[in-house]
Amino acid sequence: MSLDTAPTGPKAAEERVGAKPTGNGGRYSAQSRLGGHAPRTERTGRALPFDDPRHLQAHQWMVEEAYILDAQNYEDWLDLLTEDIHYIMPVRVTTALTAGFDSAPHMAHFDENKYSLSRRVARFLTEHAWTEDPPSRLRHHVTNVRTFATPNEGEIVVDTAVLLYRSRGDVREASVISAGREDLLRRGGEGWQLARRTILVDDSVLRTQNLAVFL
Amino acid sequence: MTDLDLVLGDVRRGMVPAHIYNDEEIFRLEKERLFSRAWLFVGHESEIPQAGDYVVRRVLDDSFILSRGEDGQVRALFNMCLHRGMQVCRAEMGNASHFRCPYHGWSYRNDGRIVGLPFHKDAYGGEAGFKRKGQTLLPAPSLDTYNGLIFLSMDPDAPPLREYLGDFTFFLDYYTRQSSSGIELRGPQRWRVKANWKIGAENFAGDMYHTPQTHTSVVEIGLFREPKAEKRKDGNTYWAGNGGGTTYKLPHGTLEEKLRYVGYPDVMIEKMKEQWSQDQLDVIGRDGFMISAASIFPNMSFVHNWPRVEDSDDVLPFISIRTWQPVGPDETEVLSWFAVDAEAPEEFKALSYKAYLMCFGSTGMFEQDDVENWVSLTNTAAGTMARRLLLNSRMGLLEDGTEVVPPLTREQYAGPGEAHVGYGEYNQRHLLNRWADLLERPAEKVSQVEVSGVPADRAEAGA
Repeated sequence: MSLDTAPTGPKAAEERVGAKPTGNGGRYSAQSRLGGHAPRTERTGRALPFDDPRHLQAHQWMVEEAYILDAQNYEDWLDLLTEDIHYIMPVRVTTALTAGFDSAPHMAHFDENKYSLSRRVARFLTEHAWTEDPPSRLRHHVTNVRTFATPNEGEIVVDTAVLLYRSRGDVREASVISAGREDLLRRGGEGWQLARRTILVDDSVLRTQNLAVFL
Repeated sequence: MTDLDLVLGDVRRGMVPAHIYNDEEIFRLEKERLFSRAWLFVGHESEIPQAGDYVVRRVLDDSFILSRGEDGQVRALFNMCLHRGMQVCRAEMGNASHFRCPYHGWSYRNDGRIVGLPFHKDAYGGEAGFKRKGQTLLPAPSLDTYNGLIFLSMDPDAPPLREYLGDFTFFLDYYTRQSSSGIELRGPQRWRVKANWKIGAENFAGDMYHTPQTHTSVVEIGLFREPKAEKRKDGNTYWAGNGGGTTYKLPHGTLEEKLRYVGYPDVMIEKMKEQWSQDQLDVIGRDGFMISAASIFPNMSFVHNWPRVEDSDDVLPFISIRTWQPVGPDETEVLSWFAVDAEAPEEFKALSYKAYLMCFGSTGMFEQDDVENWVSLTNTAAGTMARRLLLNSRMGLLEDGTEVVPPLTREQYAGPGEAHVGYGEYNQRHLLNRWADLLERPAEKVSQVEVSGVPADRAEAGA
């Protein structure tokens, strides 16, 4: 069996909402007290083949976004987000294998809508956001991209892995944040926009002085 | 080599040797003499509401399971198996009737009592060799609660918590007793910052002087209308019992108008009026002061602010509780919880949570700029030049020790303790004076617990 014709990942077919996901999704957005406005669209079926035009577009979108975030061009970044975006980063906790949950109930690091994200961006446009002045040197390494169709023609779900390297000053150790992301992209007049992002950070205790920057 | 007497003397006259914010030797003394004695906040009863619920919390290097037993009682159990010392619980939270050690299978009820000891008879000859009856995971030396807030002390002879907190309980009620049901605590967010633990505690206790500068940006973007310099200097800074904090001066109006001004709905205001004493109500209604940040010695802090969370003129209050958990002289783990009155309307709870996230915690826009300062300060305090620098922490005092402004009178201020309007570093001095009091007292010898021990003269171990 050649890789070209193989179906995607061994467990992809078993993925469904409510089951222990092998992707970066889950019920985090739907369960949030601030997720009432969020789109509920879920992935269907297996990951699209890597030569599917939707996958190619999604991959390119993720790479372009990474460069925008590295450069802290946050006004451009806001333009990539839909008006109904839900941007959530749960607080991960260590739990027993059978506990059935892996994040703190009713608590997240980010649990944002367009308004709160726009306030965060507006703050960086003042000359008094000391935490990023001087700015961090940022590198978002985005890998493991896979794309799924959804019941809606104009929406796709994209899983990515992201490693953020953040370096400040000269003597402090740089911080590294590893996370998985599940994104819902929606096709609009000017191309794909981000309608929902779930960020599953891989630390229960973050090793960075704050999350002033985005993942 | 640090001359401790000299350091403590300098601190007591309000001159702070800069190296205390990054000094191995000072940190060793803090562990030995301060964190071994003080009452330390570890969690809230609402985090473990059902029998069997538990969370695991550390006090420096010691891990404790905060567990609610089948009898409904909350205990703090040292997370170490009595046999070979393995952690019996490696999760951070959950629900369990028992904790079983993965090493040799000893198991304990969620009240700490041992129930399973494999091959007790074959291995020890039963009770004749190892008295299983009555053995429990080591409880924390002292445990006590106030308004559901759970505190531990590593000192078995610690004074009662109420006595330790003293008159600060008057202010604790504003944060944790807005209705008879008290608070629900959510979180914590946890993150590590390369900053000394004392800096956050001092800042939250009384640094209203930093607000207009550090937090300029949050006013500029319309998130918070209050930090402007003129707003801060009209508030008071109070110290009572073992804690203190800062307040904002509210615009004129009735009690109800003032509570509405910071965003409380009438249904919550009515409950506050039932819960709080006349003095507690007068601090807000008559005197016009609204609590904001505060700290309890040594490392627990509070915030109460009222930002705009939507694109409208309305503001909404939130409460955060946090600890500055020391990791090393230059590193602190922040545990930051969101607290909300359990009887608050659901919509209020949701928006108050949003207000918290926008302002404080790992992503909060206030907090981001605070930590940048504290990391930088800690870094600079490590070297030899910091040992030559005594920082002036005497704001609010003339050289001869008289106060720049007199304390508020009983007619101006219904709260306990001492309060001053205007800029001052009263509370930073209060905290560091307590710090000095503990650091100068050598640690007492601790007693040991023997697990089914035998008298030394009868032991034939290793035969």
